Amino acid sequence: MTRSAIQSRSAWPAIAARTALALLGGYAFTYAFTAALARLLPLDPVDAVTAASLLSFVVYLVFMLWVFAAASLRRVLVGVGLTVPLAAIGFWPQLMEVLR
Amino acid sequence: MKGSLTQSMSWLHTWCGLLLGWMLFAIFLTGTLAVFDKEINWWMQPELTDQALSPAAAANVAQRWLAERHPGETNWNISLPTARAPDLAVSVGERRRGGGGSGVIHLDPLSGEKIEPRETIGGNFFFHFHYTLHLPRTLGVWAVGFAAMAMLVALISGIIIHKKIFKEFFTFRPAKGQRSWLDAHNASAVLLLPFHLMITYTGLAIFFLLYMPAAVNALYDGDRQAYFRDGQSGQAAEQAPRGEGRASKAVSAPAAPLRPLSEIVSQAEAHYGQGMIGSLAVSNPGRANAQVTARPVLGNRIELTKGEGMLFDGVSGKLIQAPEPSRTSQLTQRVLAGLHFAQFGGYPMRWLYFICGLISCAMIGTGLVLYAVKQRKQAKANLHFLRVVESLNVAVVAGLLLACITLLWGNRLLPAELAARQDWELRLFFGVWALSWLHGWLRKPLSAWREQLMAAALLAISLPVLDLWSAQGTLDVMRLSLLASVASMGLLLGWTVWKVPTVIAARNARSARLGRPAAGASS
Repeated sequence: MTRSAIQSRSAWPAIAARTALALLGGYAFTYAFTAALARLLPLDPVDAVTAASLLSFVVYLVFMLWVFAAASLRRVLVGVGLTVPLAAIGFWPQLMEVLR
Repeated sequence: MKGSLTQSMSWLHTWCGLLLGWMLFAIFLTGTLAVFDKEINWWMQPELTDQALSPAAAANVAQRWLAERHPGETNWNISLPTARAPDLAVSVGERRRGGGGSGVIHLDPLSGEKIEPRETIGGNFFFHFHYTLHLPRTLGVWAVGFAAMAMLVALISGIIIHKKIFKEFFTFRPAKGQRSWLDAHNASAVLLLPFHLMITYTGLAIFFLLYMPAAVNALYDGDRQAYFRDGQSGQAAEQAPRGEGRASKAVSAPAAPLRPLSEIVSQAEAHYGQGMIGSLAVSNPGRANAQVTARPVLGNRIELTKGEGMLFDGVSGKLIQAPEPSRTSQLTQRVLAGLHFAQFGGYPMRWLYFICGLISCAMIGTGLVLYAVKQRKQAKANLHFLRVVESLNVAVVAGLLLACITLLWGNRLLPAELAARQDWELRLFFGVWALSWLHGWLRKPLSAWREQLMAAALLAISLPVLDLWSAQGTLDVMRLSLLASVASMGLLLGWTVWKVPTVIAARNARSARLGRPAAGASS
């Protein structure tokens, strides 16, 4: 976000978009990331779940900061879009179940 | 790019900090007070007296009482007196957590007579408010979690915009208006940065599966119980499905005398440490299949394991099941939770957490004030919004302090036998808080600050007088220490409020002599 964009009145839609993307998009991304990480970690399920879940707050935090720091809204949208492949990895067995 | 990163982070820091800062201040202040929740409970029930009875002896008193009056019950629950709580309480029937429920009966640990301490929300109120904001539990936990994420965002964005982090650590320019507020904000933030980060992150880690159930949903199809079962070793998992079928067995089992509970307390103390047993749960007392679970108080170590205990055979007194150590990953989470709860390390650690918590409150408070001070100087500031901010600042910082100290006063002034007394205490607390906002809205900000803080300081300083005047119980060491702490904090607050205007006046006089206007009206 540039200085002029922050200060002018027309900046509100951009601010609202980034806030929504940071809060909701960020949570969706973190949710999918945590599921995928727990699936991929070469640990016992209990340990993988604990490690991935504890790490999720850091992921969410970094993602939210990045949403506000990113140069363009398009990049942010691409980032949020990563939710889909991550969710597919995380919920692979459930996905197969549904498709079958 | 560098410049715009600083700018966007600065914007984020300001708005995140301002909009969630009010909530965060309330969370941090009540959390700081909750460090001494049990001590405040103790003070708020003057009918309870410290008999300095050992937990083992108290267990026998409770056992005698229960055996006389409730020999046929399937479950007895006994909450034992500890170093932080003089209370011996019993209840029967389905298992309850701790005291506070309506079926809980308080006993005098020496005579075994039933006593009726006043109903009070006690220090527990601060603890519950700290993580639920007095909202319905789930909603409140989510709201506090949201605020905690905002705190992390504000902290990290604050670090990013902070260029000369080390140099400014040593900088404090008092009585310079905005500059001083900024220095105070920076110093309190940087000085305890590890604490701020630790306490916020560990707060989130307590409810980690509630906030982020993704991994459990993916690997266990959302079955949290299956996850916890998996975390136990084979032996414990076999015995895990207890509870069901116990009641039906109770009918058939022949009568058999229950061991003296003091023996079981002593055995459990050998494992957990002297004075570390907080409660006993007896199932099928007086039957051959009687079992006793001894649960420790929190705080015999950093790891926080709620609900763990040692299971004993009630007739032979043999140990049936000892708690097993947590596996590494879960130990990590439990240590994180324990770091937040601050139950380890005794009173030195409690005081350390308390002081660190106060500094966190100071950081949030100075940040809130800094926004108002900055805006007031800007020509094109939105005056209406500024007014809202300033009145909320007064209400949340000064008004909450005032409401907390009024709660202590109300505890002594409300009649002890008042019906629904806890509700009246709540009404008093929230009523004073609402009035403080009204007062902050009607008065000029500076006067509102000064009057409310002074009122809070005076109430704190005079609390010992009130307690002596209305003393019902004995003034034991615990109550005297609480009074001394509250009064000295009141003195400190009063001195600050007294001192600040004179310092400002001196500065204004000095700058007037030099023929230039004072930089920045102070708040």
